[in-house]
Amino acid sequence: MIAKTSPEIGGMGHSIKRKEDSRFIQGKGNYVDDVHLPGMVYGHMVRSPYAHARLKSINTEKAKQLPGVLAIITGEDLAKANLAWMPTLFFDKQMVLATGKVLFQAQEVAFVVAQDQYIAADAAELVEVEYEELPVLVDPHKATDPSSPILREDREEKSNHIFHWEVGDRDATDKAFQSAPVKASVHAISQRCHPAPLETCGCVADFNRATEKLTIYLTSQAPHAHRTLFSIVGGIPEQNIRVVSPDIGGGFGNKVPIYPGYVCAVVASLTLGLPVKWIETRSENLQSTGFARDYHMTAEIAADQNGKVKALRVKTLADHGAFNAAAQPTKFPAGLFSMCTGSYDFAASFCEVDGVYTNKAPGGIAYRCSFRITEAAYLIERVVDILASQLKIDPAELRRRNFIQPDQFPYKTPLGWTYDSGNYEGALNKALEMVGYAQLRKEQEEKRKKGELMGIGISSFTEAVGAGPAHTFDIAGIKMFDSAEIRVHPTGKAICRMGTKSQGQGHETTYAQIVAQELGIPASDVIVEEGDTDTAPYGLGTYASRSTPTSGAATAMAARKIRAKAKKIAAHLLECSEEDLEWETGKFFVKGAPSKSKTIQEIAFAAYTNIPAGLEAGLEAVNYYDPPNLTFPFGTYICAVDIDKGTGEIKVRRFVAVDDCGNVINPMIVQGQIHGGLTEGLAIAFMQLIDYDENGNVQGGSFMDYLIPTAVETPHWETGSTCTPSPHHPFGAKGVGESPNVGSPAAFVNAVVDALSHLGVKHIDMPITPWKVWNVLKEKGVVS
Amino acid sequence: MALKIEKSFQVKEPVEKVWSFLSDPRKVALCVPGAQITAQVDDKNYKGAISVKVGPSVTDYKGEVQIVRMDALNYEIEILGKGQDVRGRGSASMKMTGKLRMLEDGGTEVTSISELNVVGILAQMGSRVISEVSNIMFGEFTKNLQTRLSQPDQPSEAATDPAGKPINAGSLAWQAAKGVFRRES
Repeated sequence: MIAKTSPEIGGMGHSIKRKEDSRFIQGKGNYVDDVHLPGMVYGHMVRSPYAHARLKSINTEKAKQLPGVLAIITGEDLAKANLAWMPTLFFDKQMVLATGKVLFQAQEVAFVVAQDQYIAADAAELVEVEYEELPVLVDPHKATDPSSPILREDREEKSNHIFHWEVGDRDATDKAFQSAPVKASVHAISQRCHPAPLETCGCVADFNRATEKLTIYLTSQAPHAHRTLFSIVGGIPEQNIRVVSPDIGGGFGNKVPIYPGYVCAVVASLTLGLPVKWIETRSENLQSTGFARDYHMTAEIAADQNGKVKALRVKTLADHGAFNAAAQPTKFPAGLFSMCTGSYDFAASFCEVDGVYTNKAPGGIAYRCSFRITEAAYLIERVVDILASQLKIDPAELRRRNFIQPDQFPYKTPLGWTYDSGNYEGALNKALEMVGYAQLRKEQEEKRKKGELMGIGISSFTEAVGAGPAHTFDIAGIKMFDSAEIRVHPTGKAICRMGTKSQGQGHETTYAQIVAQELGIPASDVIVEEGDTDTAPYGLGTYASRSTPTSGAATAMAARKIRAKAKKIAAHLLECSEEDLEWETGKFFVKGAPSKSKTIQEIAFAAYTNIPAGLEAGLEAVNYYDPPNLTFPFGTYICAVDIDKGTGEIKVRRFVAVDDCGNVINPMIVQGQIHGGLTEGLAIAFMQLIDYDENGNVQGGSFMDYLIPTAVETPHWETGSTCTPSPHHPFGAKGVGESPNVGSPAAFVNAVVDALSHLGVKHIDMPITPWKVWNVLKEKGVVS
Repeated sequence: MALKIEKSFQVKEPVEKVWSFLSDPRKVALCVPGAQITAQVDDKNYKGAISVKVGPSVTDYKGEVQIVRMDALNYEIEILGKGQDVRGRGSASMKMTGKLRMLEDGGTEVTSISELNVVGILAQMGSRVISEVSNIMFGEFTKNLQTRLSQPDQPSEAATDPAGKPINAGSLAWQAAKGVFRRES
């Protein structure tokens, strides 16, 4: 266990109130749209109404005549600078502005720049674009039909098939299935949804002609990586680019990719020599930026009569839309989807994924999950439930029989992952106890007799976060280490800068607590700064719950470097040898003589005023941390629902979430993360879908159709925890931000299916709306 | 987005009179809010335009109207209309099958089945709004038709007809919104 510091120091384990909240709750945050620069002008995007159409002409004459319009950029203009296309983060390219044809509704066609945003929007209305409609491909299952149109004329391969990826032992798996007495399967769709962060995407590009320096204020989860990509793609020397991510109003993966609007704003600023602001509308965000999921999955389990699982076989079709704009490590075309064996001990497993193009917005990004683990966790937790139901074994008991046991760690999965640590049964038991499982089951039985519909759903998920070890993980070639720099000032206060970037996670508080834990400098004396590439050390940013496992670890390592130097200074001040010193939070003292001590503050002062001979002045350190492995948080969620037979409405009566993320930095922040992620999971399970009609019209392109949960829809969350530290992380933490989004959808769906299982219902695809439930009830004759 | 709308209504005029009106696209256009026939290509093909304004979104479709089938014996007509917005905001097509039935009281029952297909900005508003907009437009159409049928014959070239103007923007959006909420509440 981690030694607990005093509340004054506020190291790990203290529920310190978030430092950043004092400005957020006063409306004093500084978001990209709050950036106002002298002479700033505004961009507005002209977008395609068609999902698939040939561009016949673009007439900008009328728009140009509108007073206040400064420039209109089209794909043809960009093509002259070789910028009409840009690389995506996954071996594909994407149109910045359309040339030739458009491939999805709301695709970027022209960029209007004007003196204010209203003129820009009006001018965009005046841009006349002539299209010739082409046949539309919406259904990914038809992508490789000979009758379907080939969408990507730019590719050499004349096919809508992007990739085939497989992992595991196909033969051993097939063999296990041949001899297995019991088989269970499910076809489940992890539907197209969208992170829909409260703040949409946007930027202010400011090219200074005198200094030739380009500053981009950007809604970026990965400012350094974006700087490098802007430099490589745009040919601008990297030292002349400064990316600043100010406060970010939620990212959830949506702010990892580079979007055409950013590139257009940069081009416009380079052309005009003026700062250019571009901020998306809500609908633009939902319709054109990184969506998540759209995985069409089949899972089969081979098992024996006792429900002991033998093998898992998974086949998945991934719909990436018009461009493969997935944001994930380059060695993993389907991200970490091969985590689909979950918390269970399978002897054999095989997983294959095919990616295809359709006439939909490009993606898919990892929405609050470590690269497709939400899909994987949802699938395994669904099919395990189906197996339990098939064998009439209680779903908790079936899970218990198949869990990887604590003494099996480090555990190598049949699909190639090595789990660091876990105690799955511990989390399950705690959740069962908290929810009063036996009592709930009894109640369910009684209710069924009365014809009432009540269900209990369990999800015992395993996450894999903290990408990642550089030997396995890189984004666009850049290894996924991360960094921290700590400078201790002469008065003993400190500033830290990281390569990550908070979007609401509370980094300004939690990183300070790590420093407090390691150095004994009170967390309130530590300032954390992120997001300015001119000042922060290089890093890959914040997503995939990686900040604590990477930059958090780097913070501890840098602090330990500082402590090592502090020890030398303390020995100098106390006139003893280093070996005679012992560390106690915040001070070094002479062994056996605790009164002879020097506090870290005294040592810091000496580092600038009384420097030992042969030692450099100052007290600071940088660390670039390359984790040896991912970390593997886990948990068990249990959901109890009641279903209204008349309306199909689902009420979540209880939801217990037991999470194990190893050692915790700030319990209150962890709890907040879990509340938020569960609320998103609820929305995915019951409310959200970016749908397309047969012509490729977006049917979830505004908050009228794409529903965001409010306090009204959100039930009371009951949280609990167990603690199984990561053995390889410097302070045993694992990362937690995404666990609730990964683990909860299956719990909700399992609960609904459980409520209806006696009617013969085996599966319902998300989002499970009242309409869907009502139709099931009608079909099953429960309502007329 | 595809929508199928079935409507029927009754008028007091005899079936022959209604047929002579409904079988002439130029006359029909006069009753459709925001629509006009701009040219006749031949006896079956016309060019036309329709302006639909929903809330802040105006769509000006220009395109062709074709009489696919005309069965004067059974009083059945099938019309296909296709158009693209002049500013490239989307397209729409509609196949309408109209059928007349003589009523015992000497009046006529008009039944129409319209299959509407909308692509673009308008289609994003979802079927709830589009079907309400269609309902409102159809209501206006019926009213206009009844008015025109009860009036003495007018030359159909009266292209300056007030019905040729787009229907009121604000009220259409408001009525559609009311329709949506009324149905769901």
